[in-house]
Amino acid sequence: MSEQEYSGLTGRIVQYTIQNSADVYRLGFWVGLVSFIMITLFPFYWLLVLAVTPDNQLYQMGVVPENFNIGVFATVVQEYPLHHYIFNSILIATITVIVCITLGSLAGYAFGRVDFPGKGPLLVLLLIISYFPGIAFLIPLFELLTGSLSILGTPTPDLYNTPWGMVFPFTMLSLPITIFILTTFYSQIPDGLEDAARVEGTTRLGALFRVIMPLSAPGVVTAAIIVFIGVYREFFFSFIMTDGSPENWAVLVYGILNFQQQHTQMYNMMAAASLIGIIPIAVLVIIAQEHIVRGLTAGGLKE
Amino acid sequence: MKQKVQQAVSPIFLRIEQLDEAKYGFLLVSPVFLVLSVLAFYPLVKTLYFSLQDDDLTGTHPIGEFVGLENYVQILSGDANAILSSPFFDLQAPFSSALIVTLLITVVSVAIGTVMGLGMAIILNKEFKGRRYARTIVILPWSIPIVIQGMMFFLLFQPSLSPFVEPLANLGVFSDNPLINSQDSTIIVILIDIWRKIPFIALIIMAGIASIDRNLYDVAEVAGATKWQQFRMITLPQIKPVLFIGMIFYTISSMKIYGIVEASAGCSTVPTLTCLVVQTFRQQRWATASAIAFITAVVIAVIIMVYIVRFREADAS
Repeated sequence: MSEQEYSGLTGRIVQYTIQNSADVYRLGFWVGLVSFIMITLFPFYWLLVLAVTPDNQLYQMGVVPENFNIGVFATVVQEYPLHHYIFNSILIATITVIVCITLGSLAGYAFGRVDFPGKGPLLVLLLIISYFPGIAFLIPLFELLTGSLSILGTPTPDLYNTPWGMVFPFTMLSLPITIFILTTFYSQIPDGLEDAARVEGTTRLGALFRVIMPLSAPGVVTAAIIVFIGVYREFFFSFIMTDGSPENWAVLVYGILNFQQQHTQMYNMMAAASLIGIIPIAVLVIIAQEHIVRGLTAGGLKE
Repeated sequence: MKQKVQQAVSPIFLRIEQLDEAKYGFLLVSPVFLVLSVLAFYPLVKTLYFSLQDDDLTGTHPIGEFVGLENYVQILSGDANAILSSPFFDLQAPFSSALIVTLLITVVSVAIGTVMGLGMAIILNKEFKGRRYARTIVILPWSIPIVIQGMMFFLLFQPSLSPFVEPLANLGVFSDNPLINSQDSTIIVILIDIWRKIPFIALIIMAGIASIDRNLYDVAEVAGATKWQQFRMITLPQIKPVLFIGMIFYTISSMKIYGIVEASAGCSTVPTLTCLVVQTFRQQRWATASAIAFITAVVIAVIIMVYIVRFREADAS
């Protein structure tokens, strides 16, 4: 091959690429990594820029803040009950986690460790639930949970504007993934350990709660984190099951949307509120990254 | 007292001890299925039942008489468009028809998001200093509240604030106020969806890459295969099943898209299928809303079928 074929800038780039493919490969890797991280972080950075910009300068902004108004974070909590919404979100997510782990442990144990007929079809049934969009449950669930349905002449309790109005739909949405994750983890515990406990005279349920569950603690923690994040980030039922005031158990969804709908120009407040709303999740992601990765793949890859 | 409780409870424990394996299994799964019967199966069946009734806008209950498939016929033929907040399907107005907008968002988002997710998975699978931190950073978009995902891009495309809206408008990409323009807002919703789903699909693909036998690469290396050839001949075929599962989950989730729309451009600008159901429900048209919800479920089912058939074909060849 003659030198002539590689003349010009493109030619020289091609030549360099062929001769130093390892370098080019490494360059591509770093360019890719840096761009992914920048794409990921830019919207967060923009929130920060908006939040710290004083409200009289919120117009035609650059990408670097010119003034810093850190007080906005305190204002958002003092003048608007943002912490109240976040507290509601965390409490409702925690109740859902407890309900799902309790019910899901029993089922996950059965699916992972007990042989019974119809196991396959029942697992498929769970998968079918997680397939249906939330809207396919909405209207009857709304009717059932807001007291507009009567069973044998007794109206169902009105749970609109209560935590339970959200906990019930969230439990329904989170149970399948909880069970998929726990089934995977429970099935990995060696039989010998359970047998040993049973020989020592532990009851069946005792073996589940005292031997199997502690051994599969990482699985339980993983499922709990995935359910917590799922509920904390949920939009649909959170939006529909309350009227939006924090006294009525409105969650973070309304804490953010109320700025957009009632205080339309307070962009710095919207940004600050969003950043504060992210904190609980950011903390969880930082300390439990491994669990989240494992849970998503265990739950997602279960056919 | 404690003894009394024990005496009362112990026969139950004894009974549980004596159950055979199958009955014990059923006993353990029964609470879950009892709860799900009330909270999931009953609502699903009732939605189907509602969808076969007439809307009753004047009576005490929004559900009227049995009309069979009438609602479905009305919606699919376009006759229902007049009473809906936005048409279900209207080729004349593609960016305001719920079905077209939703399918467009899903197809574009899944196509671009999957390719980018694959890229991210390959990069994050390499050993490098600070990989742990990089992984932590990239899973943030997926994990934050949906309302904040929408809010971020709402603030990013506010014409009075953003340094990008004017340049993009000058280039002819967007109009002056993209958040009130259906076409621009659809693109913005697609951007949000891609941004938040890349980590999700990347994690699933990474699990697939992690399970590939390393020896395959060693053999390829010895045989003189380039990195690109290794990717085409080893990585891609090996992760195909995982990729399909990831894409199915991605697709289902994009077809249900709602929260980021409500928090950014709003349902009247980008009327997705879920938006349409919620708005119809709010108009007290429960029967019509139920029918649209079920049509949505059927559309998703058809798409999943297509995936599975394509996967079988690809697997066979």
